[in-house]
Amino acid sequence: METDGQATAPGSALALILVREIGQALAAFAESGEPAAIDLRGLPMSDADREELLAWLGDGEIAATLAVAGRSEIRETRFTGVWWVRHFGTDDRIAAERIEIASVPDILIADMADVTAAAARFDDELAELSIPPSMEEAEHV
Amino acid sequence: MSDRQTVGDILAQRGVSRRAILKYAAWLASAMALPPSASKAIAQSLAAARRQSVVWLSFQECTGCTESLTRSFSPSLEEMIFNLISLDYHETLMAVSGHAAEEARLKAMEENKGKYVVVVDGSVPLKDDGVYSANAGKTNLQTLQETAKDALAIISVGTCAAYGGIPGARPNPTGAVSVGEIIKDKPVINIPGCPPIAEAIAGTVAYLVTFGKVPDLDHLGRPKAFFGDTIHDRCYRRPFYDKGLFAKSFDDEGARNGWCLYEVGCKGPVTYNACATLKWNGGVSFPIQSGHGCIGCSEPHFWDKGSFYQPLSTAMPGMGAGIAAGAAAGVALGAGAAWLARRRQVAYSQQTSKKEGA
Repeated sequence: METDGQATAPGSALALILVREIGQALAAFAESGEPAAIDLRGLPMSDADREELLAWLGDGEIAATLAVAGRSEIRETRFTGVWWVRHFGTDDRIAAERIEIASVPDILIADMADVTAAAARFDDELAELSIPPSMEEAEHV
Repeated sequence: MSDRQTVGDILAQRGVSRRAILKYAAWLASAMALPPSASKAIAQSLAAARRQSVVWLSFQECTGCTESLTRSFSPSLEEMIFNLISLDYHETLMAVSGHAAEEARLKAMEENKGKYVVVVDGSVPLKDDGVYSANAGKTNLQTLQETAKDALAIISVGTCAAYGGIPGARPNPTGAVSVGEIIKDKPVINIPGCPPIAEAIAGTVAYLVTFGKVPDLDHLGRPKAFFGDTIHDRCYRRPFYDKGLFAKSFDDEGARNGWCLYEVGCKGPVTYNACATLKWNGGVSFPIQSGHGCIGCSEPHFWDKGSFYQPLSTAMPGMGAGIAAGAAAGVALGAGAAWLARRRQVAYSQQTSKKEGA
């Protein structure tokens, strides 16, 4: 969902370059469905560059927090399909930071190996539940 | 723990989901300058990989390299690297000692013949038959040759193992040499630095586990991902250099304004390392950000290249006059330096991507 789109252009040269790169990747995704990602941590970005880019991309409809090997933040920007993904260590410093252009970032999708393991664990825990006799009788009615 | 178990199996047993591997892969792709889009494939490869047996040998060293890996790194990601490897021998970290420790080393070598990785920190003394550093009745030279014989690859961690470092500085009383001067029949990866950046150590090991091969190295045996650019290329003070604004002393107006430290001896223009981007102490800062010039600790013989406070433009022992003059004259690159650095990274990523896909 794009909102008014009247944000001021980023003043930082690096932020402006990135905005153009994101725009090209988003257009390609819309055209072909080919996802893309831009690594921000490898760039000599200052805090000001990051703030300007963040401000220009704005907030979208979804924000998620993951607790896995430290915290992760995934936010959709005001441009549908453009996600700002930040992975933190437990000391809360940024370990990886990227812009992802995709329907959903991969890390939000449950891996089938984990789903299979969860199903097995669910069965095990269900089997261990102590069901009151009255309910067992009800099951056989 | 079964040798047949994969990293994914082990993590699943510990209740850690594949998302943790994906997160680690995102970090690895970023650290190794691989295409960000490759992280999903990296995660799948990591999950299916067996744990890598690692034998860590410590010779003429100060243990700063081990401290760098275990103390300065994001704890959660540190735990991840120890999920990828089986650290079968490390004198400082292992619980056992004496004969039991040596048996652990020999057992790991036997069970993983041709597949284990040897990490070395510290230089190897050769003078007087190597008597200046020995362990378990063997000189460092004997231990290195014995352990490296059936290894997959050797990783020389720190400037001492990579280039001789402080023990090898003039007059080099123990005849200290680098690992690469002894081992000629195996791949030797150098991760210099005094100490090296933890991410460079962990990233290189993780790359080996993921791809089962040595990453692209420069002419000094260093992974290009971490040592492909000079500190100067990525320094946040670079715009001041480009404008000719230099601190003349450590407490003058230029220093207080954060201007370039070139004239007070910064060796950033000739030092290849990732300090300016990965930084130190949990990403808080790096020497130049703290107000001191780079001392070039990841370059060979940095200790013998004259004063740390002498500008590069005054030719230093062991440094070509062309390099020094080039550094002095490099004022005109302009504000496009960051853009150029990024273009170079993109070009390198594309090159790596093609090789990975080949």
